[in-house]
Amino acid sequence: MTGTGSYTVARPSSPRATTAARGKSTRPKSIGWLFVAPFGLVFLVFLVAPLVYAFWLSLFSKGLATGTTFSGIGNYVKAFTDTEFLGGLLFVVVFSVVLIPLQMLVSLAAALVLDAVTTKLARFSRLMIFVPYAIPAVIGALMWGFLYSPGFGPLAQLFGLFHASAPNLLGSHEVFGALLNVVTWQWSGYYMIIIYAALQGIDSSLYEAARIDGAGPWQIALRIKVPLVASALVLILVFALIGTLQFFTEPQVLAPSSNGAITPSFTPNMYAYNLAFANSQINYASAISFALGLVVFIGVYIFLFATRKKGRIV
Amino acid sequence: MTAIGIKTADKAVQSVRGRAKPKPRIGAHVFLIVLVIYFLLPLWWLIVASTKDAHGLFSGTGGALWFDKTFALFDNLGLLFTYNGGIYLRWLGNSLLYAVSGGVGATALAILAGYGFAKFAFPGRRLSLALLLGSVMVPLTALVIPTFAMLSQVGMTNTIWAVILPSLLNPFGVYLMMVYATDAIPDELLDAARVDGAGELRTFLTVALPLLRPAAVTVLLLSVVGTWNNYFLPLAVLSSDNLFPVTVGLGLWDGLANSASGTGTTSLWSLIILGSLVSIIPLIVAFLSLQRYWRGGLAVGSLK
Amino acid sequence: MGVAHDCGQSIPLDASLARSRLPGLGPEQRSFRVKKKALIALVGLAVVSALTACSSPGGSGGSTPAATDKPQSQADKPSNCDNKILYPSATRVSLWGWSPTLPVAVDAFDKAHKDVQICWTNAGAGSAEYQKFSTAIAAGKGAPDVIMLETDHLNSFLIKDALVNLSDYGADKWKSDFSAGTLKDISSNGGIYAIPDDGGPVALMYRKDIFDQYGLTVPKTWAEYAADADKLKSAGGPAIGDWPNDTPAFAQAMFAQAGADTFDYNINQKTSLGVDIDNAASRKVLDYWDGLVQKGEVVTTGQSSTDFVSELSSGKLATFIAASWEPGHLTGAGFTRGPGSPWRVAMLPQWNADSPVQVNWGGSTYAVTTQSKVPHAASEVAMELFGHENQQTLGAHFPQHVKVQKASWFVNAEDPFFGGQKANKEVWIPTADAYKGQSYSPFQDYYYQQVTAMLTKTTSGAESSKAGLSKLQSTIASYAKAQGFTVKTK
Repeated sequence: MTGTGSYTVARPSSPRATTAARGKSTRPKSIGWLFVAPFGLVFLVFLVAPLVYAFWLSLFSKGLATGTTFSGIGNYVKAFTDTEFLGGLLFVVVFSVVLIPLQMLVSLAAALVLDAVTTKLARFSRLMIFVPYAIPAVIGALMWGFLYSPGFGPLAQLFGLFHASAPNLLGSHEVFGALLNVVTWQWSGYYMIIIYAALQGIDSSLYEAARIDGAGPWQIALRIKVPLVASALVLILVFALIGTLQFFTEPQVLAPSSNGAITPSFTPNMYAYNLAFANSQINYASAISFALGLVVFIGVYIFLFATRKKGRIV
Repeated sequence: MTAIGIKTADKAVQSVRGRAKPKPRIGAHVFLIVLVIYFLLPLWWLIVASTKDAHGLFSGTGGALWFDKTFALFDNLGLLFTYNGGIYLRWLGNSLLYAVSGGVGATALAILAGYGFAKFAFPGRRLSLALLLGSVMVPLTALVIPTFAMLSQVGMTNTIWAVILPSLLNPFGVYLMMVYATDAIPDELLDAARVDGAGELRTFLTVALPLLRPAAVTVLLLSVVGTWNNYFLPLAVLSSDNLFPVTVGLGLWDGLANSASGTGTTSLWSLIILGSLVSIIPLIVAFLSLQRYWRGGLAVGSLK
Repeated sequence: MGVAHDCGQSIPLDASLARSRLPGLGPEQRSFRVKKKALIALVGLAVVSALTACSSPGGSGGSTPAATDKPQSQADKPSNCDNKILYPSATRVSLWGWSPTLPVAVDAFDKAHKDVQICWTNAGAGSAEYQKFSTAIAAGKGAPDVIMLETDHLNSFLIKDALVNLSDYGADKWKSDFSAGTLKDISSNGGIYAIPDDGGPVALMYRKDIFDQYGLTVPKTWAEYAADADKLKSAGGPAIGDWPNDTPAFAQAMFAQAGADTFDYNINQKTSLGVDIDNAASRKVLDYWDGLVQKGEVVTTGQSSTDFVSELSSGKLATFIAASWEPGHLTGAGFTRGPGSPWRVAMLPQWNADSPVQVNWGGSTYAVTTQSKVPHAASEVAMELFGHENQQTLGAHFPQHVKVQKASWFVNAEDPFFGGQKANKEVWIPTADAYKGQSYSPFQDYYYQQVTAMLTKTTSGAESSKAGLSKLQSTIASYAKAQGFTVKTK
């Protein structure tokens, strides 16, 4: 095993399994409930109950001019044949496929460089790259909205240097890239820190051995470091996938500045939000949310299944 | 399998010292500088734009990335803190209230529950754990509407509790604490305390809690940040603007500035820009000064 | 995680997903299996929640109102007001509104009424507030007593039984204070459902300096407008105007000016809706503007962006077809006021100079909600909050109350935004007087969203006006049918 043993604040303990089994059997079991109960209450009231209620709502249909009728899975059938929902779904899938590798690349590259270089600049950079995480997504999106504005932001000036006119980065063709940029900016630092911490945990004697064998810095990075943090990468990928399929905040905030390029059903979550709050179709909105949840669930399991082996190799 | 652990900062420093001295790398430094410029550009723009008045923002000299001839930072600050009866300060205070009470509350619940999950094999533990893990995949937009409906049934919408209570929910924090507690608190210590006659609560407070501190601080930090950055829950459950946190408040001003019904003579754009800058300063300062807790403190493990 | 989870905390990512301490299955299988158990448990919970959580939409649906309000308990008094309450024991009425003139108007009302006090809060502008209102209506609780609504959204809330018929509370005596067009906008089936505050007569704002520079005449017809556009283009001047995708209310006003009567809705026949979207008038308007866009004479900048304000202030647009509240909106962007201002305003160009049509865009009203427990007090607020402004308190509003419109200080006011021009006398008042009113759909937000979607295609040339309008017609008709309306088309 590598030297990256598990370090805990307490003394390292003897083989866990037997101790745990022995220890647990002498302990009063049900008292565990008392510790979990306060959280459990909040969990029940603010997660389970609303979910159940939302599911209940999704089984009904209400028209503006009619009353509420029970429609069973009718809303779900409607959702999976709804071009707006499916279009939004396609967008977030394509967006994830492009965004996640991009984010991984940026954060992995940054982490690798920061792991190899330890000057003051590197330490400063590490902090600065992480700073966008401290900024609420709403404010980050607002700022980029101003920056993207051809007249109001710096684009007119920058492009003017090349005697070109500033593009409208929130137009129909450009908005994909614009959103890609905002999200990468917001989250790369966060991923970088995680990868960096994982890199820091690798025993440096491995590098010595590799150097003796004649490996250059690139090879060390690609052949040793990256595989050893593969598990961290997989973890990040899972959560990035979950999060990106539920993409909401940035397009919602930037929609007013996009002159219609970002539609109210641009992503499934936006569609659900819009249905519920703008069009008062709470029942259908709940169905859309659950349909999205189903897709996320399936997508993540497929992904976990596909990467299961990778995790094991290390 | 690479083991998991929550490392102390010391270990990170040790491993750095153990490496070979790096040669000065121009390429790496250039890369880093480019990254820093990219990540800091919006902030720079924000700072520069905060010093401009409305005229400077829309038709100023010097372009968007440099200062205008009128330096209006102090005027803007004055306007920011007095507009509409000083509501911006109120928003900052609200954000602080929600973040601290929600964050502290969520952390307390997470510590208790994590400890319970880690050290007690109570009946229903497996089911609860599965529910906990599954809850991460819940599309949270689905929760906003029914949460609002539930809260309005008991007349609790448009109160601070409508924001604080749902913020106590941090399933991932529970998971973090559970993982840490499993490793960090050896059962022998707990058994020893019990043999000495201490009750469970006493054991928890005197033996377990001190050992959980590093993870607890991390969970606290993350909960506070999460609640501070919260936007759509308060947007949905609050209708009085003097209960808004600063994220929702700035969203309100942004809507007003762009809306088709007039803002009177005040330049809301200046307020939005400066308000954004002022609102992110506390978090950035907190992050920079509490580095040692989150920087070297966490390592990520693997999925089995 | 890629993106923040809305409504909840961002999921903290630096977790250690530890090596599982549980023997046996790996986490995937374990949680999958256990999920089935969880589902069964949840179904049980569902029954319980359904019994307790279902609520019926609010509304004191009574057909004949009580003679007076029930006395208001201390607990029912709204708090967290943006204004100061002068008489704490008086009946307190909650009010949502975003108009910049509200602070002054609310304070004046509170000072003058010892028995009724207003607790005002800004719950958002436009659709932000409407969304909160809709949610409160659906939840049965949480709506204010009085709410500020634009005229185009009244039908959308009438259909939800959310607004009180103010004629039952003495609003009919105010009928004479409003023009015929305004009355049509706020009435349905003979009842008045909202009291107007300000209106939005639409006119042509233009840059006098640019017109002088390029020798343009102020256009009186759309043909002259297009001719001016050509002249500007050939002289290398700026664009003549803007045709945005994201301002559907403006597009709708243009359709109406050409003679389109898009919707026909009356609360008397709640479930019946007349839809006429694909008509010759709307096609004429779209073709006209798309033509100008294609010639490069009109830009397509969205008006909900800072970009548009930049263009206006830097002289990239020679005209701006705007409503009377625009100068107020633009003053916050550092526009020069006073004699140095380059902007002037003229009557809106017409399709036919012999039969002019004037239109309205926006404008606010105040309605009483059916959730209000103090409708008498609330009606008093709605009716008396505005209508007696003077020069200082009016602000950049165009008042709908005729007696303010006729006041000589208002008629002769010189607007510094237009360089001292007597804009009210020359433009706004005659426009408002000639306005005949309009009918709006009961799902105006949805309609506007679809208009934006259509404009995105027609303006870029991806669809012809005929294709766009007929698609919009069928989308709206099928939406209406799905919502349970009987749709009448021409």
